[in-house]
Amino acid sequence: MPSLAPVPSSMLAIDGLAKDFGGVRAVHGVALHVAPEEILGLIGPNGSGKSTMVNLITGVFPPSAGRIVFRDRDITGWLPHQVLAAGIGRTFQNIRLFRGLTVWQNLWVAQGARAAERRFMRWLTTDRERLRQIEATLEFCRLGEKRGELAGSLAFGEQRRLELARILAADPELLLLDEPAAGMNAAEVADLSERIQALRRRGKTVVLIEHHMELVMAVADRVAVLNFGEKICEGSPAVVQDDARVREAYLGARREA
Amino acid sequence: MSDLALDVVQQALNGFLFGSSYALIGIGFTMIFGVMEKLNLAFGITALGGAYAALLVFQLTRAPFPLVVLASVAAAGLIGLVVEITCFRWMPGDYPLAALMATVGMLFFVEEVIVHATNGVPRAFPAPLGQAMFDLGPWLLRGDLAFMFLVCLAVMVALWLLVFRTRLGLATRAVSQQPVAAQLCGIGLRRVNAAVFVLTGMVGGVAGALIGSAVGNLSPLLALPLTVKGLVTAVLGGLGSIPGAIVGGLLLGVVEYEALYFFGIGYRDMVTYLLLFAFLVFRPGGLFGSAARR
Amino acid sequence: MDFYVSLLTLFGFRILLGLSAYVVILTGQISLAQAGFYALGAYSAGAATALWGWPIVPAILLGAVVGGFFGFLVGFPALRVRGLFLVIATLAFTEIVRMVFLNLKYTIRVGDRTIGPAAGEGFRGITYYFEHGWSGLHILGFTWLFVAAVLLGLWLMDRSRAGAVLRAVGEDELAASSVGINLTAAKVSAMTLGGFVAGMAGALYAHYASYVSQEDFGVLLATFAIAYALVGGTGSVLGPVAGVLFFSLLIDGLRFLGDWRNLLFGVLIVAMMNLRPHGLVDAGLVRRLVGLRRRASAGA
Repeated sequence: MPSLAPVPSSMLAIDGLAKDFGGVRAVHGVALHVAPEEILGLIGPNGSGKSTMVNLITGVFPPSAGRIVFRDRDITGWLPHQVLAAGIGRTFQNIRLFRGLTVWQNLWVAQGARAAERRFMRWLTTDRERLRQIEATLEFCRLGEKRGELAGSLAFGEQRRLELARILAADPELLLLDEPAAGMNAAEVADLSERIQALRRRGKTVVLIEHHMELVMAVADRVAVLNFGEKICEGSPAVVQDDARVREAYLGARREA
Repeated sequence: MSDLALDVVQQALNGFLFGSSYALIGIGFTMIFGVMEKLNLAFGITALGGAYAALLVFQLTRAPFPLVVLASVAAAGLIGLVVEITCFRWMPGDYPLAALMATVGMLFFVEEVIVHATNGVPRAFPAPLGQAMFDLGPWLLRGDLAFMFLVCLAVMVALWLLVFRTRLGLATRAVSQQPVAAQLCGIGLRRVNAAVFVLTGMVGGVAGALIGSAVGNLSPLLALPLTVKGLVTAVLGGLGSIPGAIVGGLLLGVVEYEALYFFGIGYRDMVTYLLLFAFLVFRPGGLFGSAARR
Repeated sequence: MDFYVSLLTLFGFRILLGLSAYVVILTGQISLAQAGFYALGAYSAGAATALWGWPIVPAILLGAVVGGFFGFLVGFPALRVRGLFLVIATLAFTEIVRMVFLNLKYTIRVGDRTIGPAAGEGFRGITYYFEHGWSGLHILGFTWLFVAAVLLGLWLMDRSRAGAVLRAVGEDELAASSVGINLTAAKVSAMTLGGFVAGMAGALYAHYASYVSQEDFGVLLATFAIAYALVGGTGSVLGPVAGVLFFSLLIDGLRFLGDWRNLLFGVLIVAMMNLRPHGLVDAGLVRRLVGLRRRASAGA
């Protein structure tokens, strides 16, 4: 698969990305680019390296090779909080809320992170504008009534919404959503689909890592497919669905199971 | 060979032999950590408690030394079980601090029992080999230390056989690697945990009796140093690794005796702590870092 | 009366010690180094007034700053060491500090006396309060000025974003980092603040006792520091206060048991951790109390 030359207007450009874990090649020579305000779907069978990709982009661990360029800044090897400050936010596949903090505090902690000013007093004072932003995010994710509840005591669907709300509070330009539909019923998935498209209308760029095929095909502008750590196909949802290699990757994985 | 070199080797020999009992204490800490992923800070006092119980038996019956050691083993095993029940059985699995604090409480409690029973006065401990010395070339082999080493070696071999050749050992290893999966395979977690505490208690009892014999007396003041040295040993070797605790204990023994020789008692412990510090900063996984997975 | 004044003063030091452990525990770091910071604060403040003739307030602040400085130093290597390993590393730190003071001898002649840290004999002559005619009540009030200031400061911090940030780091470091929190800054800040408060406590204690010795500043003190925080609970600044009350009432309230109360001590700790593993004042209790207050004011 020839690596695509980074398009000048691309928001996120990944080139030759690789990651070895002591002999296991989780990701191997992956090139990817994401255009501003597009929704890119990232799919692939279990173990294909999707979550590793997210972890590499957000700096959970550094890549063994390759570059990650975000809005013309090389963020390869940056730490997670630095990546967020640059403008990339992520959600977690296994929800990682701050269970002992309230819903509101979960957002509050994320919201202040991208403050341009670093004055110490910012920590002790709250800003009316910031409060309003948190309220707006709570409304967007329909968690307004739950703001005083401990995150650990929410129902599963609410926790998923909080996971998203929290990262939205940090106002990133690019969102990496790691399997946000896992465990959701049809109504919740439809709701999620709505919300992702609403995010795009607000100017966000989204990379959606998912197993839920209907969701991906419905909202994504383009889809990239990983298998065994390599990108095997890329294109519009329709094209990818019909691709022989993609079918083989999924069906082949099932045969081995 | 110069005098200095002779002394260095002598100290290393003594330290190496004495370190075998540190190894046993380290094994106790490391095994519990490996299986429960929690620290049992009451382990040092478990070993000491066993030794005191054995002392009581000796004072009542004047039994021969091997029986004294056995009494220590039995008593310490029992204390270990009590610790498991009171400090670990009903504690939240995901909040190790609660169990940690509880073991501190047990440490205070057992120490106070000892102080009450003895009025805080050190008591002489039987040391049958106290005067035995053998010549080993230009060096001296202390009989009591050699005996200590042999017994500890026997315990380690027995432990190895238990862990690798019995069903209980297999269950223990399974639980330490994958507690949930082990349970799903029908391993009774409660029984394995209790068994580990009794077992490590027994090992501690051997160490307590041997140390008491080598030092010549017991004092409640030994509780803290025993705990700290056990922790240092376990960390040097890598928390969770039994071979690591063995090597760590021997290493600690050598370092201690050399430090004592070169710097005197005031600085001996500082050298130990600095060694610990160095390991924690440069090699937190320890020598056999299987704890790196945590 | 004197007895109660003394007791309340002691409460002050213990509460500060507990608070210093609490701040660090919020970020998920269990530190036995607080006793080391306490010792450093005690010796440096004592030296300031007894050896260099400083006035009392700058001396206390010096103790706090020295504690904070070492907290900062410890904070960085502490980043490399997780969980229970950190317990052991900080234990080592406290013991090393203790041993340094066991060997440190720096005495000068002041008037007709020789004062200063004298290795194993301790540091006598920290007699600022006595020389200036302070009564027990004066000492109590002065001590509690600092305690109240720290309590207020930490309470405000808890209600601010900084407090939530520290707790988030303690809950889940990966998630915290992913929402933009600089882990290094948070954890080192907590350790520095903990050192500052512990140093302040030590400085105040040294002047109260007028004599300090390294044997007061060992593992036992360090254990009490985290015990106040863990048994009291880390849900709010009142947790360590509750912890201090719990232990102090035990020690002094069970006086009638004579020697036996020490036995009960350990048993009660074990019982407490079984009954309330997350401490007396945990997050759930704080939530409920806040909820009660809200309902009460809504109904009024």
